[in-house]
Amino acid sequence: MTDAEELVARLRRGERVALARAITAVENETAEAAGILRAIQPHLGHARVHGFTGPPGVGKSTLVDAYITELRARGMSVGVIAVDPSSPVSGGAILGDRIRMTSHGLDPKVFVRSIAARGHLGGLSATTAFVVDVMDAAGKDVIVIETVGAGQSEVEVAQVADTKVVICAPGAGDDVQAIKAGILEIGDLLVVNKADLPAAEVTVKQLRGMLTLRRHPNVRGGWMPEVLATTATSGAGVAALADAIARHDDDLDTSGRKSGSGPRLRALLAETAARLVATRIGKLDEAALAPLVAAVRAGDLDIASAAERLLKEVTGEA
Amino acid sequence: MSEQALQLPLPGFEQAETAWRRDYDARLGDAANPRNRSGIEVKPLYTAADWSAERYMADLGFPGQPPMTRGIYPSMHRGRTWSQRQLIGFGTPEDYAARLEEIMAAGAGAISLIPCNSVYRGYDVDEVDPVLLGTCGATINTVDDMDTALRSVDIGRISTAMNDPLPFTLLALLLAVAKRRGVPWTKITGTSNQSDYISHYVANHMFFRLALPGSRRVLVDHIAFCQNQVPGWNPVSVVGQHMQQSGATPAEAMGFTLSTAIQYAEDCRARGMDPEVFLEGFTFFFDISISFFEEIAKFRAGRRIWARLVRERFGVRNPKAWRFKFHAQTSGVDLTRQQPLNNIARVAIQAMAGIFGGLQSLHSDAYDEVLSVPTEAAARVAVSTQNILREEAHLTDVIDPLGGSFYVERLTEQMEAEIEAAVAKIDAAGGMYAAVESGLVQTLLGESACAFQDRIERGEETIVGVTAHRRDEEDFEVKPLERPDRARMETQIAKFKSFKAGRNQAEVRRALDELARAAAEDSGNLFEKTVDAAVAEATHGEICACLRRELGFGQPLVVA
Amino acid sequence: MTAPTLAQRPPKVLVTKVGLDGHDRGSRLVAAFLRDAGMEVVYTAPWQEIATVVKLALEEDVDVIGISSLATDHLLMPQVVTALREAGLGHVRLVVGGIVPDDEAEELLRAGVSRVFHPGSTREDIVETVRRLADDARAAI
Repeated sequence: MTDAEELVARLRRGERVALARAITAVENETAEAAGILRAIQPHLGHARVHGFTGPPGVGKSTLVDAYITELRARGMSVGVIAVDPSSPVSGGAILGDRIRMTSHGLDPKVFVRSIAARGHLGGLSATTAFVVDVMDAAGKDVIVIETVGAGQSEVEVAQVADTKVVICAPGAGDDVQAIKAGILEIGDLLVVNKADLPAAEVTVKQLRGMLTLRRHPNVRGGWMPEVLATTATSGAGVAALADAIARHDDDLDTSGRKSGSGPRLRALLAETAARLVATRIGKLDEAALAPLVAAVRAGDLDIASAAERLLKEVTGEA
Repeated sequence: MSEQALQLPLPGFEQAETAWRRDYDARLGDAANPRNRSGIEVKPLYTAADWSAERYMADLGFPGQPPMTRGIYPSMHRGRTWSQRQLIGFGTPEDYAARLEEIMAAGAGAISLIPCNSVYRGYDVDEVDPVLLGTCGATINTVDDMDTALRSVDIGRISTAMNDPLPFTLLALLLAVAKRRGVPWTKITGTSNQSDYISHYVANHMFFRLALPGSRRVLVDHIAFCQNQVPGWNPVSVVGQHMQQSGATPAEAMGFTLSTAIQYAEDCRARGMDPEVFLEGFTFFFDISISFFEEIAKFRAGRRIWARLVRERFGVRNPKAWRFKFHAQTSGVDLTRQQPLNNIARVAIQAMAGIFGGLQSLHSDAYDEVLSVPTEAAARVAVSTQNILREEAHLTDVIDPLGGSFYVERLTEQMEAEIEAAVAKIDAAGGMYAAVESGLVQTLLGESACAFQDRIERGEETIVGVTAHRRDEEDFEVKPLERPDRARMETQIAKFKSFKAGRNQAEVRRALDELARAAAEDSGNLFEKTVDAAVAEATHGEICACLRRELGFGQPLVVA
Repeated sequence: MTAPTLAQRPPKVLVTKVGLDGHDRGSRLVAAFLRDAGMEVVYTAPWQEIATVVKLALEEDVDVIGISSLATDHLLMPQVVTALREAGLGHVRLVVGGIVPDDEAEELLRAGVSRVFHPGSTREDIVETVRRLADDARAAI
């Protein structure tokens, strides 16, 4: 048995130190990582992955904490991945989210790992997906991903989840518009936290209105995103949220939209490939692009065809 | 304003100033002016152009009269010196009583009581690792403990300041003792030090917290109860110390503290209480840093703002309620472990700033405060420092002696502007309660703390013996620290347990159930029920646990 | 491209407080120092249980634990060292910062604490010590 296989055997037996070490290996893409990923392959597919995202200040961590409490009450073991931004200057990070998860500080069935969003070789989403897989292999029933901060990396990481929950706080119409960009698009469930505030009801209505107006990408699978209200500090609405998440998980199983490590990685590959292409196009100099741009402008070439040509150009060069 | 044209004719002024400026610049060139901790630029010279006497009545007036700048009482320290109120607390209730007796024999006329950290956290002695007990305060959990601690004190005559976290069990225990001794509650005087729950939400220090809404309710209940039943007691002590120690600039510390007081006053008013009455019982507690003139200006400005604020925001006509009464403590944050005897000089300077700032009550730190709980010898030096300032330097002879100083008046005005800006920031956020709920204040404090650290690292602030004038070898011998006697503490724990076992359990149960019910049903005065429980011999830990269960626990502060 | 070895991962440090004191201005500053030096810091609120500290250190796979202490909270350090060893985390290095009398600091070092930082310790000293200890911890797994 290789060291990696030994480590995986230990983590499957419930050894928490082994789980922590395995996560460290895949997080840092060390020499051991490949062996670990190989060894866990046969043991994947049990865990459900739920992602929580949203702008700062909405009570995300409090809600996640309450959600974990609910999961534990339902007898489930939980893995948590908390993603914090890294300092662009030093590359270091303060992983502060554990401050808030105080209710589970002694519960051995809740395993919390903080990850800094530093320059992971394969991208943050890939790293997160691998950590998810390791926790899955360790037998966790549910894996919760929480991103701290706002921005593109948040959206990326949330994609790793099977069920994506987007949280917002009650706000005037403008605020709701503001969070629409990117984050709202991906939500399977939208949660208005701090439901005890007077503006909450209005925000719920606004969100529902927005959803019916817009063709949601998930509608394809038959799932219409739901809007819920919670008060994380009191726990109100959290059980209903857990039910809704479970319902979406079930819908994934039955609708043919796949969940699990395979589909996760497929989606990630597609995204990473797209990013690579975009980067390469960005590196082309003006002279290379100019004829295509001119042709499109003159109406000689439609955009789709122009893009196909560009694609051949950047990938053909390999 | 300094840019105003001078009203008084001062022939030759401009010429002389120009000449001075030229000579000064020749020596110092273009050196930038330093800034004090609140960010205010400090010039090398202040003149009648910065402030002059025709503004006397508008800016200063007379002590005890609006604008109150010069002091809240007509005679200030000359009539009655500031209270020498050394904070003490250590070991078991007996240890505390013994030390109290010494201090009183040495001349302290007012007492204070610092409970053990375990008490701050809401625990009894049997709930905590014994190695942590009694190291920084006295382990007072029961009415017996309080009775023992104050065995030599005539509680009907002597004023007591208690560091008493919500839900104010120490006052409850004191009232229970009064009942036992036949002392009417109307004769009990003192202050619930640090009764300010909001200050425990913006800086972590020791106190545990109930969740915000519960805290809000308990405080107003406490104020209402004291007003009716213990009228000699100051139920509110709004704390600027924690904020300043946690990183707030002096102006922010004053501003946010005033905002907190405004919040409490509004909460009381919303409950139907009369500001003319309850504002009299509002007191304050501040840190005094070693930024000497800045602190003097801070206090003078704060006093002036408060007098105006209570009239303008609350329409109060009772002159007693215009008084900005405050206790201050020399700041431990400025003291160093290196060359600790230097701290004696620091404390003397901080104390002077507080005295010139017009405080009512002063605690001066011992020089070994940074090493741990002060030794007796060091505590004596701290008391002597105050005696020297009063009796040798005669600092009580003249009221507001720096009044009229061009620098001090100008700086007071500038600090006033900074303080009001801080208050305005909180107003804009919907008041202090909302600002704390949203995390705004915590964030601002964190930023100021980082900014100050940057100043130190850039060399703009020097710490003698640490960042400059270091010595490789210390010539001061640090004596081994005093720790509570383990055997005595074990005895105390045993005593506590047998106290619990020997009570009328049904009575205790009844009182705690009533407290719980009142909390859950949002009915009745929670402090009144707390006092009942103390009288029924419930312990501090039992009361805290009950309220924590019913009202929720306030999680520790998050500032990363 | 060769995969990085574990030695190249940034030092991971847990900064926390146990016992009864809550003053965290110092630990907040230290966390910032370490982050600015490129380290990953798991930062907690004060008043953690020892068992929670061990759980955090285990799950986060930290190299070094920095405990900030006032009052007598440092007297709990031997218990922390024992708890870490019992949890299979004997390689993790422990440093204490705050107000610790000299004689008790000696005892802490004998009990397994790697370093005691007193008030006035410089940023450089703290950062370099933690970095060195993180390397030691990694090597000792």
